[in-house]
Amino acid sequence: MGEVWKVTITDSLNRFLEKVLIFLPNLLAMITILVVGFLIAWIFKRLLFRFLKAIQFDRVSRQWGLADVLSKGGITYSPANLLSRFFYWVIVFVTLILGVNALEVAATQNLIAQVFNYLPHLFAAVLILVIGYLIAIFLGQATLIAAVNAQMESAKLLSRLVRWLLIIFSLTLALSQLGIAEKVITAAFSVIFGGIVLALAIAFGWGGRELAKEFLERLYKRNGKSDEKEDQISHI
Amino acid sequence: MEKSFQVQLEEIKAADILIGIPSYNNARTISHVVRAVIAGLAKYFPSARAVMVNSDGGSTDGTQDEVRRVQIEDFKTILTSHPVNPIQKIVTPYHGIPGKGSAFRTIFEAARALRAKACAVVDSDLRSITPEWMELLLGPVYEEGFDYVAPLYTRHKFDGTITNSIVYPLTRSLYGKRIRQPIGGDFGFSGKLAEFYLTKDVWETDVARFGIDVWMTTLTVAEGFKVCQSYLGAKIHDAKDPGSDLGPMFAQVVSSVYRLMEEYQSLWKGVRETHPVPTFGFRYEVGLEPVSVNVERMIGNFRLGVRDLTEIWRRVLLPETVGWLESIARLSEEAFFFPQELWVRLVYDFALAYSKGPVHREHLLKSMIPLYLGRVASFVKENQKSSADEVENEIESLCRAFEEMKPYLIERWA
Repeated sequence: MGEVWKVTITDSLNRFLEKVLIFLPNLLAMITILVVGFLIAWIFKRLLFRFLKAIQFDRVSRQWGLADVLSKGGITYSPANLLSRFFYWVIVFVTLILGVNALEVAATQNLIAQVFNYLPHLFAAVLILVIGYLIAIFLGQATLIAAVNAQMESAKLLSRLVRWLLIIFSLTLALSQLGIAEKVITAAFSVIFGGIVLALAIAFGWGGRELAKEFLERLYKRNGKSDEKEDQISHI
Repeated sequence: MEKSFQVQLEEIKAADILIGIPSYNNARTISHVVRAVIAGLAKYFPSARAVMVNSDGGSTDGTQDEVRRVQIEDFKTILTSHPVNPIQKIVTPYHGIPGKGSAFRTIFEAARALRAKACAVVDSDLRSITPEWMELLLGPVYEEGFDYVAPLYTRHKFDGTITNSIVYPLTRSLYGKRIRQPIGGDFGFSGKLAEFYLTKDVWETDVARFGIDVWMTTLTVAEGFKVCQSYLGAKIHDAKDPGSDLGPMFAQVVSSVYRLMEEYQSLWKGVRETHPVPTFGFRYEVGLEPVSVNVERMIGNFRLGVRDLTEIWRRVLLPETVGWLESIARLSEEAFFFPQELWVRLVYDFALAYSKGPVHREHLLKSMIPLYLGRVASFVKENQKSSADEVENEIESLCRAFEEMKPYLIERWA
C-alpha cells in the first residue's frame, strides 16, 4: 500500500515538474517580453514627447482648439504629454497581450487573435473621432467668424449647426468602422441628416423668416439695389 | 517666367528705368495710367532707356489690349520735344498665387533681367495719376541715390483706415521711421532693392497678395536701405465696393505686419524713438469728393463681434480688456466711443497672440475685423466735423499712443 502511495505521489510530482519545466521557459519569455515592452514603451514615450515639443505640437493644438477641448474635459495634461502617454499605454497593452500569448495557454490564444484582428478597426475609429472632432471645432469657428463678419445675427446658431453635423458625421464613420450595427447607424445617420436638412428648409422658409429676409436683403444689397447708405471709404 | 516675356526681355537687353503696372480687370482706368506713365517718362527722363511692364492677373475685360493699344501719338501736345528713346511696352501674365504681390514679383524679375537702375510701380485703377508722379517716384532713386520712395498723398480724411489705424502707427512705432503711407501702392525703388526682394522666399505667403506693400516698406527700413517719400497729390481710385474684399485684405495686410514683427523682433525691441524721412515734392491743397461712411453698420458689426466672438478673444486678451470691450458694446450709438488706448492695446495683444499662437492665425485676424470696425466707427464719429489737418493731428496722437505703449508690447512679448 505504501509503495502504491509512493508511486502515485512521485508520478504526480513528476508530472507537475514536467509541466513546470514546460511552463517555465514560457513564463520567462513572458517576463522578458514584459520588461522589454515596458522599457520600449517608456523610451518611446520620452522620445515622442521630445519630438512633439520640437515640432510645437502644443501650439498647433491650441490653434486647432484641441487644448481647449482637453481643458474643458478636465484633462490637465498638455496635448503633447497626453499623446505620448496614449502611445505608452498602447505599447503596454500590446506588450501585455504578447506576454500572455507567450504563456501559450490555449484559452487565451483565440481571444488574443481576435483582439489583434480588431485593433486596427479600433485605432481607425479613434483616429476618425479625434480628427473629425478637430475639423468640426475648426470649421465651426471659421463659420462663426465669417458669419459675424457678414453681419448675420444667427452666426452662433450656424456655427453650432456646422460643428454638430461634422461631429455626427465622424461618429457615424467611427461606429461603422467598429462594425457596430452598421446598417442601423447608416439608417440613423440618413434619418438625422435628412431631418436636419428638412428642419433647415422649414426653419428657413417659415420659422426663420427673419434669417431668410436678412440673407435675401444682403444679397440684394450686394447687387447694388439697396437704398441703405454704402461705405465709400477705401480701407487700405 | 513666361517664355515670350523672357524673349522680350532678352531682346531689350537692358534698361535704365522700369515701370511696373499690376492689373486685374482694370480696362476702365488703365489707359489713363499708361498715358500718364508714357508722358511722365518722356517729359522727365527723355534720354533714359525706359521699359513699361504690365503684369496682369488674367483680366477678361480687355485690360491687356488697352495697354497695348494706348500710345501718345503727338508728344508735341504735351512736350516741347520727342523722347530720344521710345518707351518699350511689355504685357505679360504673372504666375503664382493670384494677387498683387505675385504681379510685383514678375516686375522685380524684369528689373533684374534688364539691370534697371530705377523702378516704379503704380496701381492700375488710379484716376489721379499725372506725369509728374514719374519724376517724384523715380527721381530720388535715379538722381539722388535713394533706394526706396514711398508715396505721400492727400486723401479724404476717412480714407485709408487700415493705414491710419494700424499699419502707419504700428510700423512707425516699431521701426522708427515716419513713413506716412507704408502701403500706398505706388512706390519707387532701385534695381538693387528689386534684386534683394527676389532673394526672399515669401511668394507663397500673404506677401504674394495684399501683404506686398507693407512687406516692401518694412524690409527696406529694417535692412537699412535709404528711404524717402514723395508728395504725389491726391489719390483717387476707381470706384468699387470697399467692403467687398475687406476681410481678405485686412487679414493679408495685418498678417504681413505681424509676421515681419516676428522676423525683426530683435530690431524693433531696440528702437526707442521715431524720425521723419526726407520728403520730396511740393505740397498743395487738393479738393476731395466727400465720401459716405455707414457708422451705424460698423457699430452693429462691432456689437455682433462682442456678442459672438468674445470666447475667441478671451484666449488672446486680458480679462479687463474683454470687460472694457463689453462695456463699450453696451453704449448707445450716440455715446459710442472706442478709446485710442484700448485700440493700441488690442493691436499689440493680437500681435502677441499671432506670434505665440493660442488661436489659428487666419481665425485670429478675421476675428479682429469687428474690433477694427468699432475703432473706425468711433474715429469717424469723433472727426465728423474736423478738418483734414485736425484729423491728421488725431492720427499723430494715435501714433504717439503706439510709441508710449511700446514697452507694454516688449514686456508681454518677452
